[in-house]
Parts: sequence; structure tokens; C-alpha cells
Amino acid sequence: MKVHEKLLTHYLSCTSPVDKEGYLNKKKMRTATFQRRWFVLKANLLFYQERPADRHLLGVIVLEGCAVRCLAAEEQFAFSLVFGPGLKTYTFAAENRQAQESWVEALMSASHCYLSLLVKNLEREYEEAKQQHGCRAASSSSSALSLSMNRISLAVPGPSVDVREWRSFSASAVLQAPLASTKAATKKSPKLWSRRNAYVTPLNGPALPYGEWSMQEFSQLHDYYGQEVERVREEWLKSKRVEDDTSEEDLIDLG
Amino acid sequence: MRFNEKEMVSLSRQPSEMAAELGMRGPKKGDVVKRRLVKLVVNFLFYFRIDEEEPIGALLLEQCRVEKEDKQTFSIAFLDEAERKYVFECDSEDQCKEWIDAIIKASYEFMRKNLIFYRTEIHRLTGKDPLEQYGISDEARFQVSNGLQALPRESSSL
Repeated sequence: MKVHEKLLTHYLSCTSPVDKEGYLNKKKMRTATFQRRWFVLKANLLFYQERPADRHLLGVIVLEGCAVRCLAAEEQFAFSLVFGPGLKTYTFAAENRQAQESWVEALMSASHCYLSLLVKNLEREYEEAKQQHGCRAASSSSSALSLSMNRISLAVPGPSVDVREWRSFSASAVLQAPLASTKAATKKSPKLWSRRNAYVTPLNGPALPYGEWSMQEFSQLHDYYGQEVERVREEWLKSKRVEDDTSEEDLIDLG
Repeated sequence: MRFNEKEMVSLSRQPSEMAAELGMRGPKKGDVVKRRLVKLVVNFLFYFRIDEEEPIGALLLEQCRVEKEDKQTFSIAFLDEAERKYVFECDSEDQCKEWIDAIIKASYEFMRKNLIFYRTEIHRLTGKDPLEQYGISDEARFQVSNGLQALPRESSSL
């Protein structure tokens, strides 16, 4: 399959925002050795080259459909991108704990899928916020988005979603397995959800491609990723405790 | 340049609302229209030979300009080379409009701008940062300074 390289390199070098960049050690699978590479994360693309100033791009990893995993101790401060059965696993090692955490968090929120869900949910929150707090400022924003949203929101009554309720679901679902069906009955059936989407998109037009995702699934996805972060933090805390313990053992035992 | 081809092929097989047989013409002089299965998945436009499982290619839909060429035809221009366009022939005007809209909205940068807009507005209306509940308020990619023109803000900045 041809992936038009020029388009990728152009995107890398243009003025769109860099979401994260820095050195990481990348594991070469065949030899299990690590090579230091300069990585640039932009959108859902992870580019890498030998050095920051290099014009030659070594490669790119498209970050869709992968899970980010912290690795215990094979190599210090290591983490992986796992694409699933039959597909690749990329392993990296950062220079320190902070860099590891920072990269893991950045990569977890990098996918197009994730951003799409996030935008959809914010869109809904925005609509509700306007209804509740709404006409306070006759929106001084001259953005076309805002205007077309006003037009659309008038046309659709739609079920209103309680954001608080949704947030508490999110908090309580921390321990659930990702994307498993939950006890909480979906108030809004997927069918209803995508119908809402058809009316409430910012510009007049068809629903976004992932219109079938329900808000429940999003919360679960979020919590699933949130677990990764918690795990990283726990490991860090554990390693700190270990350090403290060993340092105590070093003291002279007077007992 | 290396890329995760197998994973991209797998991505191209994901369900998509925007997948159709269109006439497709490449950007070079002498390129002719060929019937392709064109499929939009995330911010990539995959194109397949009809009834083939693996795509011929994938176009990254960032920094590109999508334009209506005529009633049923649209084009995508990349690399600021306005003359080098990929041209797509649809079966109807409605289909053409649908594709143009979908491609524009598929861009990651477009979605990021939307997100920042909603974040700013929700904060302005409610005084709360809607990203806090997800624990991602500090992620660089969602910062207000990213690519959005300044909006009038009443209270403290995000």
C-alpha cells in the first residue's frame, strides 16, 4: 500500500502544532536493542528521525487502534504501543519517570477516535451550557461555528443530557473492564444518539463517521485509559516506597 | 520512510460511513479517471481497486484544500500545489456535497479547533473547564493557544 510520504513529511514540517517531541529509545524488535531516536508527535502521527535537525525522516507510526502500556521493568521507564493480535507492538524507553509518564499521557490522547469522541461530548455540553447560561452574552463570538450551532439548536428539541449524571458515571466506572456492557442501562440508545448527532453537528451536513459511539462507551474508554495513568502513578509510588525502604535498611541496626 | 503498513491496512478495514465507488483521477498530467472504492477512515482517505481487500494507497487529509469542481465532482489539493489535485467524480450532487463535508470534518486540525472552541465557550458560559473531568486539562494538544484566534473571554484564562 502506498502511503503518500510527501503528504506526511509536509504535515510534519508545516505550522500545525507539535503535541510532543523529544528523544526516546526505540526498541529494534529483531535484535532487541534500543536505538535513540528523535520523536515528534503531531495529531495521531508519531514521526521519528535520528536527530531533531535531520531532514531525513526515518519513519512514522499512525496511532489508531493501539493501546499504550507501561512496562514494568524490562527496560527502565519503558512503555509500548500495542496494536493487537497479529499486529505490531512498538516498545520505547524514556530517560526518566517524568518523561515516561508524559509520553504515555500524550500518546493516550493522540488518536483521532479519541478526539472525535471528546469533541462530540463537548459539543453537547456546549449546547446545554448555552441553554442554561445561554443568552447572557449575546455571543459576541463571530465564529461561524457558533452561528450555525444556534440555527441548529433551535430546530431540534432533543433529549437533554445531565452532565453531572454522566460525570458521576464516569467516576464510578473506574474499575470496569473497557467497553464491557455495564449495569447502568443506557438512557440514550445508540440509535437516538446518532440521530441527535445528525442534527447537532456544527456545520449543516452528515454526522461524523463515529456517530454510533454512545456516551457510555466514551466514559468507559476514558476510564480505561485513565487506568493506565493510575497504574503508572502507582508504579511510581511503589518504586518510591521501595527506595525509602531500602534506605531505611541501610541504617545501622541497633536492635 | 517506514510506516506501520499492516496496522494501516487493518485501519482501512474499519467500518466507515463514508465509503463509496467513485471515479478517481490522480494529479499528474495524463492521469485518467479510474473507478475506485474510496473510503474515509479517521483522517485518511483510502482507495481500493474494486473488490480488492488491500488499499492501493492512503492520503493524509491534513493541510489540504477540498473544493467543488462542478455539480458532481470535487477535488483535493495537497502541498499548497493548487494545480496538483486529486479529482473525484460522484454519482450525484448530494453525494458530492456529503463527501466534501465529511473530508473537511475528518481533519484532525479541524477537530482540534472545534474542541478548543467548545472548551473556551463552555468555560466562558459556566466558569468550568470541561476537560477537567477527564484529567486532560494540561495536555498540550488541547491548549487554547493552539491555532485558534483569540475569542473574547470574560473570566480567568484557561
